[in-house]
Amino acid sequence: MLENIPVLSLILLSPLAGALLVLLLPGQRSVWLRAAALVFTLIPLALTLCLFAAYRPGVGGAAFTEHYTWLSVPLNKEMINAKSLSIAFDYHLAVDGISLPLLLLSAIVSAMALLASVHIRKRWKTFYSLFLLLETGMYGVFLARDLIEFFIFFELTLIPMFFLIGIWGYYGREKAATRFLVYNGLGSAAMLLAFLILIATAGFTAVQGADGYTVQFSGSYDVLLKNLADPQSYANNASEEMAGLGVFLSDNLKWAAFILLLVAFGIKIPIFPLHTWMLRVHTEAPPSVVMIHSGVLLKMGVYGLIRFGAALFPAQLADWSTVIAVLGVINILYGAVLACVQKEFKLVLAYSSISHMGIVLLGIASLHEVGLQGAVFQSVSHGLISALLFLLVGSLYERTGTTQLGELGGLAKSVPFLSGILLTAGLASLGLPGLSGFVGEFLAFLGLFGSMKGMTAVGVLGILFAAVYILRSVLGITFGPLQERCADIKDARFVEALPMITLTALIVLLGVYPSILTDVMQHGFVGLLEHFQQRTGG
Amino acid sequence: MNMLASYLTLAAVLFCVGLYGVLTKRNAIIVLLSIELMLNAVNLNLVAFSKYGVQPSLTGQIFSLFTMTVAAAEAAVGVAILVAIYRAKTSVNVDEFDELRR
Amino acid sequence: MSSLAEYAWLVPVFPAAAFAALTAMGRGAGRAGAWIGTLASLVSLILSLLIAGQRLSGTAEEYSNHFDWIQVGNTTLPIGFEVTNLTSLMLVVVTLVSFLVNLYSQGYMKDDERISTFFAYVALFSASMLGLVLSYNLLTMYIFWELVGVCSFLLVGFWFRKPEARAAAKKAFIVTRIGDLGLLIAILLLFWYMPNHELDFTNLHNVFGTQTGVISTGITTLIALLIFLGAVGKSGQFPLHVWLPDAMEGPTPISALIHAATMVAAGVFLVARTFDIFHASQAAMDTVAVIGAFTAIFAATIGLAQNDIKRILAYSTVSQLGYMMLALGVGSVSAAMFHLFTHAFFKALLFLGAGSVIHSVHTQDIREMGGLGGRMKITAWTFGIGALALSGIPPLAGFWSKDAVLTAALDGHPVYFVVGVVAAFFTALYMARLFFLVFAGKPRGDAHAHESPAVMTIPLVVLAVLAALAGFVQTPFNGWFGEWLTGEAEQEHASGLVIIVSTAVGLLGVYLGWLIYAKGTVRRDIVSSRMPGVVRLLERKYYVDELYHYVIVKPLEGLGKLLIAFDDYVVDGAVRLAGMSASAIGRLNTRLQSGQVQGYVLTALIGLVILALAVAGRRFW
Repeated sequence: MLENIPVLSLILLSPLAGALLVLLLPGQRSVWLRAAALVFTLIPLALTLCLFAAYRPGVGGAAFTEHYTWLSVPLNKEMINAKSLSIAFDYHLAVDGISLPLLLLSAIVSAMALLASVHIRKRWKTFYSLFLLLETGMYGVFLARDLIEFFIFFELTLIPMFFLIGIWGYYGREKAATRFLVYNGLGSAAMLLAFLILIATAGFTAVQGADGYTVQFSGSYDVLLKNLADPQSYANNASEEMAGLGVFLSDNLKWAAFILLLVAFGIKIPIFPLHTWMLRVHTEAPPSVVMIHSGVLLKMGVYGLIRFGAALFPAQLADWSTVIAVLGVINILYGAVLACVQKEFKLVLAYSSISHMGIVLLGIASLHEVGLQGAVFQSVSHGLISALLFLLVGSLYERTGTTQLGELGGLAKSVPFLSGILLTAGLASLGLPGLSGFVGEFLAFLGLFGSMKGMTAVGVLGILFAAVYILRSVLGITFGPLQERCADIKDARFVEALPMITLTALIVLLGVYPSILTDVMQHGFVGLLEHFQQRTGG
Repeated sequence: MNMLASYLTLAAVLFCVGLYGVLTKRNAIIVLLSIELMLNAVNLNLVAFSKYGVQPSLTGQIFSLFTMTVAAAEAAVGVAILVAIYRAKTSVNVDEFDELRR
Repeated sequence: MSSLAEYAWLVPVFPAAAFAALTAMGRGAGRAGAWIGTLASLVSLILSLLIAGQRLSGTAEEYSNHFDWIQVGNTTLPIGFEVTNLTSLMLVVVTLVSFLVNLYSQGYMKDDERISTFFAYVALFSASMLGLVLSYNLLTMYIFWELVGVCSFLLVGFWFRKPEARAAAKKAFIVTRIGDLGLLIAILLLFWYMPNHELDFTNLHNVFGTQTGVISTGITTLIALLIFLGAVGKSGQFPLHVWLPDAMEGPTPISALIHAATMVAAGVFLVARTFDIFHASQAAMDTVAVIGAFTAIFAATIGLAQNDIKRILAYSTVSQLGYMMLALGVGSVSAAMFHLFTHAFFKALLFLGAGSVIHSVHTQDIREMGGLGGRMKITAWTFGIGALALSGIPPLAGFWSKDAVLTAALDGHPVYFVVGVVAAFFTALYMARLFFLVFAGKPRGDAHAHESPAVMTIPLVVLAVLAALAGFVQTPFNGWFGEWLTGEAEQEHASGLVIIVSTAVGLLGVYLGWLIYAKGTVRRDIVSSRMPGVVRLLERKYYVDELYHYVIVKPLEGLGKLLIAFDDYVVDGAVRLAGMSASAIGRLNTRLQSGQVQGYVLTALIGLVILALAVAGRRFW
């Protein structure tokens, strides 16, 4: 049934339509605006759920692919004596086992963040239109299969985010927004450079006709993947017909592109020492925006690194797997130790995100299916958990006016529901079995352990530190004597409790029955793994 | 003597005169006039090439017509802006126009 | 009729369902919630008894079932359950103690406003512990292993308003997590070294027990030691014992259930379950025995100098767990499990008795109690039976099981035996001290002591009967229990030496305790006046906590502070430097931007000329 409708485009464009509609509504009617935004967030959520249910891992996402030519620019064909030479950019959407879980995550977290946006007190119209625009950007990133298209959607998330932080954030919001933009702008520049190198040197197809070759350059991911994965045909193309162009993807250029991509997505993930921007975003942005940021935007870095860094450059990744693993271990321990000594709860969570993303890096560095699935699983799980935690931060701040650990205490007495959810989220974050955090960590460690035992053993220490910082902060907030400012506060309202319960239920579901996600990922890494096997098999 | 060379020399002289005016004159009206001078030098080049160039064609002359139109529009807008500035500043001295810096 | 073992998975499901129901109902459930929890544990108990009964009659095969929890490519991670004689024994122990504690808590927690939360946690604990017991492979076991840890943490911190409870809960979780890391790494190692990535106990038995040489000795030792690290954390063995005494901040029924009878014994159970791995490595066996023996005597000496009734029992638990480890280390699974079995009853009894006392006098300091024997007859009698059982006085349960452990130790190495005997003497002494200070003599504290309600005394009586009689399943003259448990016929060696020595030290300890603390013939400060340093050392628990504080916690805090500075000044500083240099260049450039259009044009012109010269110059270059 889903095959007959352009489901991916609907997912992608319905928030955009919602943004336009929101712009047409009267700006003072916050309820109307919120309802409209909610409807246009629930549409993609429902569609994504249908897609998730209809997805058959063995078939892949082929049934849902949408592919149209967007731009085609003719170039001077005399350059290479071809029949025609052009550069084309496509509107190409597809899902597979890697992107579908993340797409679902984005849809869920968006809906939850939207429900949590009751804390927003001003300029609703701008807020909701930017929010919906951000959603389109996120869906686009996970759906796009053309490099330029991907880049556009990647950038599309930056701009709404900049304003969402800068307008609705806390005291230091403007600085945080600038920091965010500068860092991510740098990352995008690196990414664009890498993409241009790729398109110009490996993104071509040459078709022989009766009267010469039809050569087309494009940013198509499939073309790049084919050209890079099959060096033989690439070399054949490269040696004769393409001789006039002169530039091909040499090993040095491959390394350059790989490192550029690593930097670009490393800023997003973020990898130490490129992490300081996200600390500010976590502390200064409004909670519902941090939910999106920590829950989804960081995962775009993971996705990009797997989709482009790993899949296009498996050889480089394999050579650098130790480097990535070392970076991962540094992330884990550095984030964890710093999280242990913070006095501000939001900073604890920010550093804990750094630590958890280190585990994702370990999964990627494993070059093993278990580890890679662990990396994606950990991304999804961390997305849900951090969304839940920041949702709670928002509710706590609204009630007590502070998130300093020293000023909070004994909340289990006054707000048992919030405290219970906070404790559950904390336990999920420290990797308690039965909750989703454990599965991702376990798979990532299991995958890496096959190749790097010592490294994994050091990384596992992060779990211990996680227990320390989570318990220290969560128990500090909920247990102990009741602080004065926490005494007369009310427990969660229904509109807050709904996303909390939903997210908790999902965390439990993934923890108890992880197959629901791993089955979808089953064939997602086939090409990549074949490559690694060729290398190791000789 | 080559006809093209003399036209081009004239155009170059005109252009330099215009450029000199743009760079040195303090009166904004004169600066505008100097710009017209430069544009006309370009027109002269276009027409000269269309007549005596390697591949003579009418394109150059048509282009010069376009240029004139645009120049006319530009002059109109320029003078209008000048009038507005004069009202605000009661001066047409370009040294005092440093709004771009603010 | 099919074997009941097929339905063993239902045993943990009942308490789990009770937990879900109680959580959904929230605090409103109140007393009704308490009954839901108790009822669920009763159903579990009945089912467990039926399953164990079937196994006792020998009609049922061992049964295991599993399903693929995660499938990744060609790798599957199954989870499942298994019923063997060992697991069915543990099922009965856990469900029985759990039911009795549930019943007891009806009285003990009666006035607590969060009573339904309490029963929800207890139900979750029971479910997890039963899951742990039933686990068919290490992964399943690890999952439940962590879950029982969390339940323990939640229940230790149940009275969350007290800062001490918060600290104790945190400590319990973190210290046991150190051990859990070891177990996790051991599982990772096994996953990669075992043929076909199998983690189930049957295959572990095959690979390590019968086909030696599949995995090298070095790796085997490493795996065994890492698993043992997990057991050390959970079972409070030295050097990770520090959390268990602090865990006494929790409600007393919890101390009985989790920190005496069931969860802390999980470490022993884990080692027993993976015993083939240990057996394949002599170094690992020696480590287990040495740590066990050391912990037994180490904790027993600390127990001599404590004044908190629950802490004395906690150190006693640590010490008794050391005995079990010692038995495992010298190769006797049946002795260890036997001691676990009897210890569960008499230690739960002692804790519940202590709870009854605390409930009545509202203090935990034994120096403020006294003379309670007259007013709390049932508690006093049952506590006395428990204390004698723990002291190893025949014919109570503790005597037989301790005897089995000591016999095994004597087979292993004489030093183990001597250490065990000395620890047994200390055990008898501190139990005598505890009993006489609390129940004998004149009242010292609150005069309103009264006997606890029936709902609390009935479990005491049941446990007292078990503590008295449970030992007869295996005596030196009747090896039936060990044979049933391990499937191997045990030679019935009644060692006269062991029986005589252990009885003698037990009686000696009790007699000495009576002389000092009841009769007063020997002065109490006889030791503290001569060797104040020793007493102080014991009172401060050998300064282990302080040592950890200065050797581990402080340096880590320092490292954290250092890294904060690093993050602020080096990482962020580099960024700020880059930002500042960019804006400095920008400021320089604003000088060029005067706002004078003519200046701009001139600049453009100069640029153009330079470009033109460059292009023209290339011709000649």
